[in-house]
Amino acid sequence: MKKVIIVDDSIAVARQLETIINNSDDFNVVAQGRNGAEAIKLYLQEKPDIICMDMNMPVMDGLSALRSLRQTSPDVNVVMVTSLGGVGDKYTEALKLGARDVISKPFDAETVIKTLQKIA
Amino acid sequence: MAVKFFGQFLIEQGAITSAALLKAIDLQEQTNRKIGAVVYEMELMTQVGIAKVHQAQRNEDTRFGDKAVEMGFLSEDQLQQALTRQRNSHIYIGEALIKTGGLDKESLDTYLLQFKNDQQPYMVDKIALPAGITNQPIWEMMADLTNKMLTRGAGMSCKPGDCELIEELPSRNMVAEIGFSGNVSARYLLTTTPNSRKVIARSILQEEDIDSEPTEILDDSVMEFVNIVCGNIAAKAAQLGVQIDISPPIAHDQSDGAVLVPDNHTGLMFPIYLSDGEVFELAIFIHNEPA
Repeated sequence: MKKVIIVDDSIAVARQLETIINNSDDFNVVAQGRNGAEAIKLYLQEKPDIICMDMNMPVMDGLSALRSLRQTSPDVNVVMVTSLGGVGDKYTEALKLGARDVISKPFDAETVIKTLQKIA
Repeated sequence: MAVKFFGQFLIEQGAITSAALLKAIDLQEQTNRKIGAVVYEMELMTQVGIAKVHQAQRNEDTRFGDKAVEMGFLSEDQLQQALTRQRNSHIYIGEALIKTGGLDKESLDTYLLQFKNDQQPYMVDKIALPAGITNQPIWEMMADLTNKMLTRGAGMSCKPGDCELIEELPSRNMVAEIGFSGNVSARYLLTTTPNSRKVIARSILQEEDIDSEPTEILDDSVMEFVNIVCGNIAAKAAQLGVQIDISPPIAHDQSDGAVLVPDNHTGLMFPIYLSDGEVFELAIFIHNEPA
């Protein structure tokens, strides 16, 4: 079972993602954060296989957290889950910073699980 | 269901890899030059002149070429020659993918057609705004996309009313707000009634029975819905050549009272009528540019 961390300031989205991921046979949500700073802290604590992270969050946004995580842990697997997926500049910036994939909100269960399976 | 750009669509369809997209974008970045680089290459302006135009642009929202003409660095004819040269050498992402070996011509044509169909629901319809409002296409697009995402995304049975100028937004049980910055500055606010909040929460949580959900989750669902709508607005704006950044959503509850349109802002309100007779509102508080 692969370990996943969810980072999103929306409780509703985090809950939806948690249900989708925990209903799969391959993945298990081990922790949740509400901003980029918490993502970094949780990554060091939990050492997950994948981080599913929003871009637009208070305190520290997702792209800043991704940049920081990749500097200290180049092998980290981050999937951005974001309403800004359709903004070309943001999408390519995420890929350039090393995101393994970008999922646009609103998402469905199939898209989320297929994306995680591609990475794991 | 979302506003997308073509490269993202191709990755989602499994037509290309993210590495192939980045390679094509690299080629675009090398090939598609800014107008300042084009006029320098054509020896129409010096680096010093270009720097002076960039400096002047910091204080006002004008295009490089227009400012260069205004400051006497270029004639109108020279600007047109440079713009033509820039246009002729511009390559789109599809062409860049073919040149870098990420996609063949036949597949490109097929996927372009599929992409057009995929994005058809997000074609912007005309919405009438009061006269004298600047950047009208952007605000029209915001209102139109909101209506489309309420009806097609959240499955809400509702009809938009005519746009009104307002000085305050009526007090409702909850208002979700997101700030826009970048090429335009504005506040986006969506009010809710008990029924519209439930319909939106159902669509976000993807659960039919939400009667036992706490208010916190219902409000959070509305904020997330507004976040998704505004993300799609930012994507659509980028297609129109306008860069918009969005802030994380915040909520106002009824105890905050009416939300006032601040000084130096124009308040646009679009009433949205639900089929059961309830009404809620989309409002855009536009930060007026200095005269």
